[in-house]
Amino acid sequence: MAVEYDTGDFVATIDKLEEIADINGFAARRAESEKRGKLRGLGVNCYIEACGIAPSNLVGQLGARAGLYDAATVRVNATGSISVMVGAHSHGQGHETAFPQVVAEMLGIDASQIDIVHGDTSKIPFGMGTYGSRSLAVCGSAMVKATEKIIAKAKKIAAHLMEASEADIELKDGQFTVAGTDKSVAWGDVTLAAYVPHNYPLEEIEPGLEETAFYDPSNFTYPAGAYACEVEVDPETGKVTIESFAAADDFGNIINPMIVDGQVHGGLAQGIGQALLENCVYDENGQLLSGSYMDYAMPRADDVPFYKVDHSCQTPCTHNPLGVKGCGEAGAIGSPPAVINAVIDALQSGGHNVTHLDMPATPSRVWAAMQG
Amino acid sequence: MYAFDIERPSTIADAVKAMGAEDAQALSGGQTLIPTLKQRLAMPSKLVSLTGIDEMKGICVDDRGRICIGGATTHAEVAAMEGYPALSALAANIGDPAVRNRGTIGGSLANNDPSACYPAAALASNATIITNSREIAADDYFQGMFDTALEEGEIITEVKMPVPEAASYMKFEQPASRFALVGAFVAKFSDGVRVAITGASNEGVFRWAEAEAALSDNFSADALEGLSLSGDNMISDIHGSGAYRAHLAAVMTKRAVAAAG
Repeated sequence: MAVEYDTGDFVATIDKLEEIADINGFAARRAESEKRGKLRGLGVNCYIEACGIAPSNLVGQLGARAGLYDAATVRVNATGSISVMVGAHSHGQGHETAFPQVVAEMLGIDASQIDIVHGDTSKIPFGMGTYGSRSLAVCGSAMVKATEKIIAKAKKIAAHLMEASEADIELKDGQFTVAGTDKSVAWGDVTLAAYVPHNYPLEEIEPGLEETAFYDPSNFTYPAGAYACEVEVDPETGKVTIESFAAADDFGNIINPMIVDGQVHGGLAQGIGQALLENCVYDENGQLLSGSYMDYAMPRADDVPFYKVDHSCQTPCTHNPLGVKGCGEAGAIGSPPAVINAVIDALQSGGHNVTHLDMPATPSRVWAAMQG
Repeated sequence: MYAFDIERPSTIADAVKAMGAEDAQALSGGQTLIPTLKQRLAMPSKLVSLTGIDEMKGICVDDRGRICIGGATTHAEVAAMEGYPALSALAANIGDPAVRNRGTIGGSLANNDPSACYPAAALASNATIITNSREIAADDYFQGMFDTALEEGEIITEVKMPVPEAASYMKFEQPASRFALVGAFVAKFSDGVRVAITGASNEGVFRWAEAEAALSDNFSADALEGLSLSGDNMISDIHGSGAYRAHLAAVMTKRAVAAAG
C-alpha cells in the first residue's frame, strides 16, 4: 500500500521562519556576541513527520499486531449536557479543553456543558491511546463521527416535535429550526424528549441519545515546519546557551492555538534537553552512572529561551474531518538538529574545524571538540 | 530509610552529650544527610538535630572585624547578610530556595563535599572553624574528600571569616546537580591573595599556590596568563575529565579576579 504526502506548503514555513527568526539580523547579532568574547551560531532544520497514527491495513502489512483506529462515545444526557468517552488519554495534552470545543461548535452549545471522560477502561470504548500526534486527528475524528450521528438522530426527534420534514431541520446556536418558518425547539427540549419519550417517534427510532464511532484513518497526517536556533558558545568553557529559538509549523487546522503553543514549547524543551543536557551513561560493567537527577540533566526553565512560535501556515489535512495534522511531537523532532547545527556553526565561526558533535553537546564535549 | 532515634537539644552541651551515643550522627539541615538516609546509604542509631540550638545561630562581627556565623545558620541567612558580599553571593547560589532555607554552613563544612561551595570560601578567607572543644584554622581543617579534622562527635559551633579587601567566587555548574563542577574563590587581603578551588580535585578543596603568588604580586587576571593546573589528580566523571576540570579551574580563577576588581 502506497501512502503519499497529502498536503503541505513547505516553502511558506521557511518564509515565515525567516521573518520570525529575523535571519537577516543574524550577522549583527553575531558581531555583538563576538565583542563579548562569545561565539554565536545559527542552525536551521526543516522537518516533516508521519503522524495521526495510523491506517490499520497499512500498519498490519508493516507487521504491527494491532489496529490503530480510535473510538469515542458521545452520551447526551436528558438535560442536554454531554459526556464524551474517548480512547485517547489526556495527561497534559489538553484534550479536556480542545475536544469539547469541537463538539460545542458542531452543536452550537457551550463547551462548559461537555465533559471528557478518559483513562478508565470500564467507562470508555476501546481506544489505542495518546501518542504519535494522533489524539485529535484520530480520536477527535471518531468524536466528530459520533457527534454527526447524534445530530442526525436529534434532527429526527426535532422534526417529530415540530411536525416537520427531517430534511428541513437545521441546527444552529443550540436551536433546531424548520427552514423557511419561525418554528424552533431548543437543544435541551430535544434531549429531554429523547429520555422522556411521551411525544416521540418510537416506531422509527429508539429512545436515548448516545452514539459511538470508530475512526480508522486512510493515511498518516504530515505536520511539517522550519526551525531556527541561535546559540552562544563560551570558547573558554564550552558552555552552550540558547539565545533564541523560532519555530514555524504547519499543523493544518488549529482547534486551540494556546494548547498548540504549549505543545510546541514543551516539545522544544524536550528537544533542547536531548541536544544539550540529557545523557544516559553506563560504565563498562553495565552500571548506570546517570542514575539520579544529580547526574541526569533535565532541561530547566533557565536552560531554554522565550520561544518564538508561529503556526499561521495552515494547509488542512485532506483526509480527516477536522483537517488537523497533530502537534505533539513536532517540537521534540524538529529542534535537536537545529540546536546542533547552531553549535557547529558557532564553533566554525571561531575557526574550529568541527563538523560533527554527538548529543548531548555538554560543556566538556564542546570544549574537547574545540581542542581538536 | 532505616529506623533511628532523634534528639533535638537546645544547648551545645546537650548536643555534645547526645553525640556520645554509639553511631550518633549530627543533623544540621540535612540537605545531604536526609537523601542519603532515604537511599539507605547510612544507618545512624540516632540523629542529633543542631538547628534548635539558639547559641549556634546568627551572624555577628567580632572585635577583629571577622564575620562570625553560627554553625546552624542557614545559607539563606548568609545570603541576606551584610558585610561580606562575595560570601553572600556564594550562599545565594547554593542549590535552590528549599536547600538554602534548610542547609547550614556548619553542616556543609562538616560534610566537606568535594563539590560544595562553602569549603572554597572558608579556605580562601582563611576562616577559623570553631567547635565545641577547639579552634581549627581552615588550612588544617580540610583533609580530603569528605574528610575533615573533626573528631568523632565534634560539632562545628561557629565559623569566623576575616573579610578580604576584595573577593569573588565563580562557579561553573555541573549541568544536572548544579553543584560546582569547578568553583574558584579568590580573596585579596592586605598581606596577600588566597585562591581556593572546589569541585575539581580528588583531594577535595585546595589552595592554588602558584596563582596566589602571582596574584599577590599583581592582582589582575593577566597575572594568571600561562599558569595552569595538572589534571592528573582531578576528578574525572561523566561531566568532565580531569584535564577539563584543571582547565576550568584556571578560567574560573581568572573570572573571579576580574569580578573582584
